[in-house]
Amino acid sequence: MSAVADGCLRVPVLLPPVWRALPWRALGAAAGAGLAAAAVARLVPGGPDPAFALVLLRCAAVAFALGLAFLLDDPARHITAAVPTRRAVRTGLRMALAVPLAAVCWTVALLLIPGRTRPPAGDVTLEAAVLAALALTGAAAAVRCTDEPQPGAAVAVTSAAGTALALLLPERWALFVAAGSPDWAVAHQRWAALLALTVAAGTALLPEPLRRGPSLALRPPH
Amino acid sequence: MSTVIDKAPAVAAPVRTGRHSAAAVLALARFEARELLLQIPVFVFFLLYIGHALWKLFLPGDGMDDYPALQSVDRSSQSVLPFLAVAVLMCVNVAALRSRRHGTDGHFDVLVMEPWRRTVAHALSVVPFAAVTALVVAVQFGRAALKPGAAGHGSPAELAVGPLVVLLAGVLGVLIARLCPSIVGGPLFIVVGFATFLTASVVTGEKEHWLNWLYPVVSENGADPIPSDLLGRPAAWHALYLLGLTALLLCAAALVSGGRTRLLKALTVVALGATAAGIAGQSPGHEARLTAARTQVNRTPGRFQSCVVHGRSTYCSFPEWTGWRDDWARVADRVQRLAGGGAGGERLTIRQRIPLIYDLSSDAALTPLSTPGEVTVGTRWGGSRVPEFAVGVASVLVAGDEQAVSRVCDARVITVMWLALAAQDDPAAAFRAVRLDDSTAGSALALAPTEPVPMSAEQTRIVRELLRQPRYSVTARVKAHWTELTSPKTSEARVAELLGVPGAADGARNGSGKGADEGAWCQQ
Repeated sequence: MSAVADGCLRVPVLLPPVWRALPWRALGAAAGAGLAAAAVARLVPGGPDPAFALVLLRCAAVAFALGLAFLLDDPARHITAAVPTRRAVRTGLRMALAVPLAAVCWTVALLLIPGRTRPPAGDVTLEAAVLAALALTGAAAAVRCTDEPQPGAAVAVTSAAGTALALLLPERWALFVAAGSPDWAVAHQRWAALLALTVAAGTALLPEPLRRGPSLALRPPH
Repeated sequence: MSTVIDKAPAVAAPVRTGRHSAAAVLALARFEARELLLQIPVFVFFLLYIGHALWKLFLPGDGMDDYPALQSVDRSSQSVLPFLAVAVLMCVNVAALRSRRHGTDGHFDVLVMEPWRRTVAHALSVVPFAAVTALVVAVQFGRAALKPGAAGHGSPAELAVGPLVVLLAGVLGVLIARLCPSIVGGPLFIVVGFATFLTASVVTGEKEHWLNWLYPVVSENGADPIPSDLLGRPAAWHALYLLGLTALLLCAAALVSGGRTRLLKALTVVALGATAAGIAGQSPGHEARLTAARTQVNRTPGRFQSCVVHGRSTYCSFPEWTGWRDDWARVADRVQRLAGGGAGGERLTIRQRIPLIYDLSSDAALTPLSTPGEVTVGTRWGGSRVPEFAVGVASVLVAGDEQAVSRVCDARVITVMWLALAAQDDPAAAFRAVRLDDSTAGSALALAPTEPVPMSAEQTRIVRELLRQPRYSVTARVKAHWTELTSPKTSEARVAELLGVPGAADGARNGSGKGADEGAWCQQ
């Protein structure tokens, strides 16, 4: 109990340094790219059709997720591993700071799509949330399983490749379904299930491991 | 104490790096290629690519691919290339930035190898992957070309697109790493590039020929094969464009990393010229001329075909499809042998035709012919196209010509379908294959080379029953009652009686035989 209270007390002290240590360049580049993709909808003469608007929103969601993949990059990782505040708290704090920013960016991206052609906002937000959660979970997994201080690039590449792979899924398990498709509702049940799994896995990966796991022959890009 | 040196110290001659630098570059490229293979995205995507190709090669097909038209096969494998390219681009990009990320750039500065040679080595690390792609493409195409039923001509330029796109992706990844040495560069470039391509194609409506062909992969799948000279794809120019662009981007990456040798500059100029020549060659769209040529072949195919007489009938095909005439003859003869009356001895003309298409990615239907005794056959064969062609032959035998077939909405459908299906090796499987919804009960459209034949639920039941009976007994009855069976006035119940099929179990089912849906098909 005292440990938890201690952690809570330390949070206000930790906030400024964690805020400064966020990988602002990567986050900024991703946010810029995502918002630019969504802004295209305003520039297309005659307004985008619903299918195009959906693809633009998905591009924005992937871009934001790629930015979040860099969130846990910490060049000083080998030093901060020894501080008394546990990693779960530090990582949680980073996420707590970045997720509202991502939410704001996503809302702006949604509003950039003209209302007539905007896909169902709740469902697309679910997709974006899953992509973001997958990227964050990937980052947490990379931090937990490797010694790399800045695994963001590897996580981003793997997330982007995974997204491309999801496009190849057979129709039965399709995730990226077209706007107005009869499979839309079923696909979004899959997205919801994926979100639950990802959040559970991500939470399990937050604490520092007690011992080092086996190393793989295959590796994420390093 | 001091020492007097009366002779200047011997200074070693500067190390000449010229001869060994190529070997060093190759050694680094080999190392980077192995690193690249072990990266998860590249490994997974290439594993999937090769696995998919092997699965297609060794899985016993349903006969649909036994008669490949090589001018379509050569570009059919291009649609998966963007995925390989994405994986290669991102991983090469990350690999080229590894030293920066790990802060070892400074260490490399003291090495003999210049940074631009390191850049070239990173780009060359993609070559083994391009070679694997080339191998897969070659095996896929070779397998299709060696099938006994292969028709048409493949284009080496179309086959070269696969390895060239992989090379281009790798070189682009290196160039991005040199131009924008930020770790977020590669994956974000993919997203931004994808959105840009998409926006460009939406804004221009995919009508700008020259803009479409600037994309690395222009796969244009969907339409049935057409004769090679009507394709209108500037494949060779496009391959030159890809090659030139790859070399140009490689030279640009080397120049950005500080390469200034004369050879590099000369290569840049040559690559620029090749790219420009490729773009200039592929850009003019000959839409009007192509459409005119396709329209002419669509309207008067006979002028472009050669004909051969097999038995009673004449078989006309485009020059690239002459090998399939024997297969058509076998099917047409078997159908005709089952027919009675004058139809059994009728002289048919089997004519190969192509639909009128304006681009290669949209399919179009063939309009029925009005010449009596002339049957259409398409440019695909094998699998379900065999019973479909048999339906075409049988309906011309029963109705006289193809335009009359579209008005057949009576009991003659039973005769048509039985003739077509009884002539197949496996009538039950052909029955399923030829129907649009793969069903064996209820009403459905039966496919034919031109207009589909609508079948009611009752007609379906009678045909199904007929196919269960021994063929010789039905054949005898069909020949005996041919005139009545091919008359539009004969009712379904009468046809069933003539052919020895018991009536439906209950009267209600008989009455509901003509559902609303086939009524709608028949009125169209």
